[in-house]
Order: sequence, then C-alpha cells, then structure tokens
Amino acid sequence: MIFTALVLALWAYICVFDMLGPNFIMASRPLISGFVTGLIIGDVQSGLLIGGTLELMALGVYTYGGATIPDYTVGAILGTYFGRGGNFETGIALAIPAALLLTQVDVANRFLNFIFVHRADRYAMEGDDKGFDRMMIYTSHMIWGLSRAIPVFLAIAFGQPLVEALTGFFNANPWINRGISTAGGILPALGFAMLLAILPVQQYPAFLIIGFVLFAYLKMPLVGIALLGIAIALVFQHLKYSKAEA
Amino acid sequence: MENTEKKLSRSDLMKSFWRTVLFFQCGWNYERMQSVGYAFSILPILKKLYPDPEDFKEAFLTNLNFFNTNPVVGAPLILGAHAALAEAGASLDSTEGLKVGLMGPLAGVGDTVLWALYNSVIFTIGGSMALNGNAFGPILVMLLVFFPYMAVRYWQFFWAYRQGTELMKSLGSGGIARITELATIVGLIVVGGFAPSIVRLTTPLEVTRTAVIEGEEVANTVNIQAQLDAILPYMLPLLVTALAYWLLKRGWKPIYVILVLIVIGFIGGALGILG
Repeated sequence: MIFTALVLALWAYICVFDMLGPNFIMASRPLISGFVTGLIIGDVQSGLLIGGTLELMALGVYTYGGATIPDYTVGAILGTYFGRGGNFETGIALAIPAALLLTQVDVANRFLNFIFVHRADRYAMEGDDKGFDRMMIYTSHMIWGLSRAIPVFLAIAFGQPLVEALTGFFNANPWINRGISTAGGILPALGFAMLLAILPVQQYPAFLIIGFVLFAYLKMPLVGIALLGIAIALVFQHLKYSKAEA
Repeated sequence: MENTEKKLSRSDLMKSFWRTVLFFQCGWNYERMQSVGYAFSILPILKKLYPDPEDFKEAFLTNLNFFNTNPVVGAPLILGAHAALAEAGASLDSTEGLKVGLMGPLAGVGDTVLWALYNSVIFTIGGSMALNGNAFGPILVMLLVFFPYMAVRYWQFFWAYRQGTELMKSLGSGGIARITELATIVGLIVVGGFAPSIVRLTTPLEVTRTAVIEGEEVANTVNIQAQLDAILPYMLPLLVTALAYWLLKRGWKPIYVILVLIVIGFIGGALGILG
C-alpha cells in the first residue's frame, strides 16, 4: 500500500513536471495519467475506462492564461486506483470531487510560487546565473509537484475514508470553495496590471479601448483581435510616417 | 547598428532551445507568470552577448519582467526572434517591446490552434479508443503529442532566429524603433481584449422588491449582474484590473496587491457577494 502510494505520488509529480515543462506526452491529461496509473497498478482496463471517461469530460478544458481548472490529472490517478478491479462507479464517484477539491490547492501553489520570482530578482542583482540555474532545475517545480504528489500519497495511504471526509468537509462549508475560486478568478488581474504598467498606456490609450470594445461588445475571438490589431498598427504607422516623409 | 556579425554559436542557441522545452513554465506564479522560465531560457544568449557583468545583470533583471504566452506555439518563436535581435545589438527596450508585443497575440493563436483544435481532435480519438478498452488509444495520443510538439517548437525557434537576423540586416535602427512601436500597438489592442477574457469576476446578487399594485403583491427581482452588463460589459474585471494597476502605479509591491486581491476575492466569494 505504502509502496504503491509512493510510486503513484511520484507519477503525479511527473505529470505536473510534464505539464510545466516539456509537454512530451501531455501526462497531465486524464487519459494519459489514468492509463499509466493502470499500468503501474496492473489494471490497464480501469486506467483506460476512468482516464477515457474523464478525458471526454475535460476536452478543450485547458489553463488558458493561468486560469485554474479542475485537476483531472490527479482525479484520474485516484479514480483509477480506487476504481481498480472493475469498480468503475466508485472510481468516477471519487475522481470528480478529488479533481474539484484540488482546484483550491492549485490557487495556493500558483500564489506561493512568487517565492521563485523574488529569489530570481536577487540572483539577477548579484549576477549569479549559476545559482539561478540551480533554482530553476532543482526547485522551481517543487511546490507545484508536491502539492499534487502529497495529496495522492495521503489519499492512497489512508484510503477512501480520508478522501470522503475531506470532500464532506468542503461540501458542508461551501463558502470556502466560493471564496477560493473567486480569488482564483481575479488574481490574473495582477498580471495584466503589471503588463499595463510597463506598456505606454498613457501615450496610446486609444488602442487599449479598441481591444476592449472588440472583445466585450463585438465578441471577437482573440485571434481576430490580434489580426485586426496588426492591421490597425500598420495603417497607423503608414499614416504617421508617410506624412513625415512627404 | 553596431554590427551584424555572428556572435552566437549553434550550441548557445541549442542551450536556449532546450531550456525552453524543458523548464518553460516551472516557477509559474500569479505575480509575473512565466517570467523565470523566460529568463532561464534566454540566459545562455544574454551570457554570451553581455560580457560586461553590469550589462549582464541589467539584461538578466529586465528579462524577469512579466511574461505569459503559449509555451509550445509562441514561446519558442519569441525566444528565437529575441536571440536574433539581441545578437544584432538591439537595446533592452526593443527586445522587451518585441516580447510584450508578441506574447499576447501568440497566446491567442497558440491556445486556439494547439489546445482547442489539435488536442481536442487527438484526445477525442484516443479517449474513444480507451473507452473501448483499446490501450493503443493513449499510446497513439502520446506519439501524436511528442513528435509534432518537438518539431513545431524546433522549427519556430530557428525560423524566428533566421528571420530576425535577416530583418535586422535590412533595417536600420530607425526600423527597430518602428517595429517596436508596431508591436506595442498590437500588444495594447490585444491586452485590451485579453484582460477581460481571463479575469473572471461577477456578482450573483439579486435584489427583490415587493410592491403592491392594484391590491396584488408583485415581486420584482433585479439581477445586479445584468444591470452592470447593461452599463458596461466586464465592468467588475475592469475595475479590479484598474485597482491593481493603480496600486502598482502608486508604488505598491506586487505581493501586497496580490494580498488585496485575495482578500477581496475570498471575502466577496465567501459571503456570496462576488462569484
């Protein structure tokens, strides 16, 4: 039990690393994380069924622009483990609440990672690129990786009662969920505010307004906004410089 | 233009490319998103191009600014172009302009083409095969991720590097300023649309008023969100972004702005005022 818990916790860590870094096999998708879990515990059929079911639920659900989504990666790992030996219903019934529960953890680890960027500032000011490289290679994925590996380990080591107790606690106190998910929804505002602070907003406020109107009122997809943005910039420069050169 | 001779070797570029592939989103955080991953990827290039320790520190620090784009379709392209521009002697302002100008548009293109289209197709096929008990489903998907993802990253990086080098040869320094301005304008337009599409804040509040009309009680429910949308769509996301911007402009540290946003979001959400 403990050994399986360790191996699956390691697999959860690898899934996180693949998602943050190489995207070699998209291990964070439930189809892949469930299938490999099936291989590890020697029940490929359960891995395929649980992973495939969650995958089709999560099609097109990605973390666009740093948004938090249900953690189907861990959902598929735990679902496959607890649904092994043909207990498909049990697996799915556990996978979905587990995936939702971990959205709270996701907001927390995306927040806590600010540690790395502050340490990076210090390395840069000291010109210590070797220290920065070590941080990136060895520790920069740790908070995120452990935030998934530890829950997987605990859930498997202490079994279903723990998962059910936790899920029950959060269901009984829905205000915690609501608070964290609302905070997770508005936190990307900081990223945009920082971007605006380095862009010459005061010099060209008009362009910001154009982008907003295209999205908010005309419902234009972002690719369309980008193409129109290029066209507007070209026309703007043509008018500006052809006058200057004439 | 100071000079356009080659200062970067193939191995410098390959180092930068592999760092992009292996660690690009490690250390992702709300404050500056892919900032550390970007700096880590461009560092071998900066190290070679800024032999003076003080110049190197400044370049390193500048490249820790906020950055976010699609890690597979987008980031390698920007890094390749950045390497070419930096090699040709472009200023840090120009390369920052290039990054800010391209990350938004490429995030839009990359997320749409790669996640929403390509992945949906291959995962639908793989997922359906898995549900029929066929283990070849997930294996097929892994192959259809590994090879195309590696190829598209490699191609983008070196294509953008070659194009950037050519471009820098044919343009003077006035040309770089123009490209920076162009990218800045595109960046502003995209951010204007991007920010409200990602910052998520609404209110579930409803106000019910009962009035007695001609002896009958009539309940009138007003949905606050619908009222706000009628005044200005995405008003709450705009307000919260403006608040964060205003605090930053007043010299607040990002970490305190984050705490303010967490407090507003958590309390508002917990009380059911915001959602």
